[in-house]
Amino acid sequence: MQDDLIRIEKMVKFYPVMRRGIFRSKQTGVIRAVDNVTFSIRRGETLGLVGESGCGKTTTARALLYLTAPTSGRAHFQGTDIIEVFERGAKEEILRIRRRLQYVFQDPYLSLNPRWSIAETVLEPFRVHRHLPENQWDDRLMELLELVGLEYYHAWRYPHEFSGGQRQRVGIARALAVEPRFLICDEPVSSLDVSVRAQILNLLIELQEKLGLTYLYISHDLSSVRFISDRVAVMYLGKIVEIAAVDELFARPLHHYTYALLTAIPIPEPDADRGHSVLKGEVPSAVNPPPGCRFHPRCEAALPQCREMPVELAPAGDEHLVACHNPR
Amino acid sequence: MTAIAPHNDQLLAVKKLRVHFFTGAGVVQAVDGVDFAVSPRETLGLVGESGSGKTISSLALLRLIPRPGKIIGGEIIFKHEDLIAKREEEMIKIRGKNIAMIFQNPAYSLNPIYSIGDQLGEILTWHEKLSRQAANERVAELLQLVGITDPFSRLRQFPHELSGGMKQRVCIARALLCSPPLVLADEPTTNLDVTIQAQILDLLQELKERFHMSMILVTHDMGVVARMADRITVMYAGRICETATARTIFENPRHPYTQALLATMPRVDHSYSDGKTRRLPVIPGRIPNLIEPPSGCRFHPRCPASDDECARILPELLSLEEGHWVSCIKAG
Amino acid sequence: MTAAEQPSTRKPPPKHHGTRRLGMWVLGWQRFRRNKTGLLGLVLVGIVFLVALFCPLLAPYDPNDQSAMLEFRSKAPPSWKNPLGTDRMGYDVASRVIYGAPTALVVGLGSMAVAAVIGIILGGFSGYIGGMADEFLMRFTEFFLVVPIFIVILVMVRIFGIVVVGTPLEEIPYLNLSTIILILGVFGWPPIARMARAEFLRLKEMEFVEAARCIGVGRAGIIFRHILPNALPSLIVIIALGIGGSILMEAMISFLGFGDPKAISWGQLLSFNYEFLKIAPWASIAPGMAIFLTVLGFNLLADGLTDAFNPRLKE
Repeated sequence: MQDDLIRIEKMVKFYPVMRRGIFRSKQTGVIRAVDNVTFSIRRGETLGLVGESGCGKTTTARALLYLTAPTSGRAHFQGTDIIEVFERGAKEEILRIRRRLQYVFQDPYLSLNPRWSIAETVLEPFRVHRHLPENQWDDRLMELLELVGLEYYHAWRYPHEFSGGQRQRVGIARALAVEPRFLICDEPVSSLDVSVRAQILNLLIELQEKLGLTYLYISHDLSSVRFISDRVAVMYLGKIVEIAAVDELFARPLHHYTYALLTAIPIPEPDADRGHSVLKGEVPSAVNPPPGCRFHPRCEAALPQCREMPVELAPAGDEHLVACHNPR
Repeated sequence: MTAIAPHNDQLLAVKKLRVHFFTGAGVVQAVDGVDFAVSPRETLGLVGESGSGKTISSLALLRLIPRPGKIIGGEIIFKHEDLIAKREEEMIKIRGKNIAMIFQNPAYSLNPIYSIGDQLGEILTWHEKLSRQAANERVAELLQLVGITDPFSRLRQFPHELSGGMKQRVCIARALLCSPPLVLADEPTTNLDVTIQAQILDLLQELKERFHMSMILVTHDMGVVARMADRITVMYAGRICETATARTIFENPRHPYTQALLATMPRVDHSYSDGKTRRLPVIPGRIPNLIEPPSGCRFHPRCPASDDECARILPELLSLEEGHWVSCIKAG
Repeated sequence: MTAAEQPSTRKPPPKHHGTRRLGMWVLGWQRFRRNKTGLLGLVLVGIVFLVALFCPLLAPYDPNDQSAMLEFRSKAPPSWKNPLGTDRMGYDVASRVIYGAPTALVVGLGSMAVAAVIGIILGGFSGYIGGMADEFLMRFTEFFLVVPIFIVILVMVRIFGIVVVGTPLEEIPYLNLSTIILILGVFGWPPIARMARAEFLRLKEMEFVEAARCIGVGRAGIIFRHILPNALPSLIVIIALGIGGSILMEAMISFLGFGDPKAISWGQLLSFNYEFLKIAPWASIAPGMAIFLTVLGFNLLADGLTDAFNPRLKE
């Protein structure tokens, strides 16, 4: 598609399982954290990536920014293979990519250096990239703080003087300092209190409208995903099982896992349908994932071929992809 | 103040409970005059954000306030006796046997060096004076009940061999060992995935009915209380905002904080992509510091309906109608 | 950095709204100040430092002054003339103990400086790189931990003392003491290395370090600007403990007679006087107390620093 800003192709990330010896460790297995994941993110949209803990959604994002080296696979940003750049490119080239892709972290208590004032944290990108002459740093700092809803005097304070919501604003300001095109938001509100979540979600949408940003919004909280996303991808055990536009996915989930996930969420209404279907069992280990469709041991509609034949994403309607032998 | 429950046959009534933490930086007024009550077989949802005092209030029922916190006032009437007046030795007999607790993090609430059978059996040999053999059988029976297959072989397993959902099931079995009339569940599903959360919530509901227990469900998740609670108490900054039946809280909330909290949450069952600008209604500002809480109503600096009076007058919990209590001077 | 710390004059100066600008260190100090045992440790260590700095002013006699012998006042009990009495050779005990303070501090600080450099480099490298290098370095560290250091030190000091005889090295003042310091440092690094490794391992996974990598900060920037400053509090604690340990170790070496005969050290004073414990107890008690209070001071200081920099344990 011509309007893809990011395209991830056949991304794979395996972690070796080691047993410690006296001098060297032996590899005894492999965790298939991300297994052959392909999707694209369009310019200006928000793609929600949802799944339960350990499904590989954060690993996918980290591999995309090369915070962890992917085992194999490619990631294209505006036509450039960025994995290639990160692996072999010159320092200037890597910095150029880093400027365009940024990350907002989950825990605002861990994502700021506790010894640095807010100004030092937000100005670090300027020191690294030198994309602005030093006499303009102060003006830019002021603009950035204003953009994320902080006051100028906050710049000389330290993280411990801030609440979680304000820290998350600082984290966003730091990410925006390099003028990125693309922002990965990894559970940006899940460690915040309910009453400040809306503030940060609104801020993200505001920034997207103002700066034309593209988001990959990662979360296990489907209500915030529904609010912020244009399209949603669902992950299970290292694989993407379904991708569709947000309303389509929530109204007409085709994969049985997506359906179970949606019905498992308690709805804040006292007489909401309590007769939902509860998914049996637990997520199997990613060390030895089930063969065939990885969801088949927990799936009510599993067919014989689900046990053996692997499934890949296939079109099922208007911009709706699903990886299932027997969709709903 | 009269008791706040639909019936007079209360199992538990908490009156004017105050818990303060005496820290180096000052006195944290974590719980400051809290009233609530639980009837037999009822689930009370205690809802609030961090710092609302919901967890401290529930720990106070067991007199398990961590240092430097102290219960400095109020009454906790459980089965017609005041727990605050009891000696520590008497409290030991109440914990687990009469009031049991399910904690937020199952990974930390099981002792890693004892097998499941040993640590659950110990409670029975201690509280119920059962023999080793009888204790084991009872534990296995309960494990079966909480949906753990092959319970006898699980007795010999250690906590690290179980998944998070399984550990929480074991914790639930532990809480039910002595068939306590009241169970406190403090964010029992917050650390679990949604599909596991659904399993655990169903299990709690089923067991509550089977054992005729009352439950206090402490949580920040409005969806969870909507599904589980008969009545809901909403807390903010150490005080109670509103108590009513679950239906009333969701359909006719009268306290501005309850209203704002319900409005500010994005919902899975709403569509937001209708082309108009997407914004959630926000509650401005941040959760107050409880060393110097705001004067008057603690929510007034963030409240859209507040005026000068709200900053002066500390609102009392008043009954609007049968079973609906609100502490807001504007709600009358 | 500069722009951040010095707000440019073109802008309105930052309004502080009554809040102090608190760094981690200031905050640590505020917590430390409330800790009574930690403060006691700081006072004890402070006293030792002051005594060491001003020993010529504080000591009533020259440390090598044996004039009391001439007046037949050796082994004299404490008096106005000799506040802590004299020992068997007519030395003034108070002066000798006071002149022992700089030796103790030089040993403690010197050996721990050596140990800290080795420990932080090896431990930090091990923790940051990980993998095979980590495995190898940690086995190496464990090897040092199982060696009975004390015996090795005694042997090495003695051998070194014999080897240098007749070489130009013999001319170096306090050669023996320097050897002890060096050996204490070379054998004292494993705990520091382990702490540095643990801290580097913990910090390199922290989200703020990941955030720095996202921005494009290089390896040196991450290590020296992000990880090391955050690891320092824990390292300082273990170094403070190590200083006390080294002082004690040197005292034991000197007590056994393996110390530097030219340096005045508390252990040596003990060794010199313990046979006359019944006749002149003051000559043994005074250096003993000095060792005890100094080591106690450093240990209490380390304790206080732990509490100040790891507030999680308290809250």
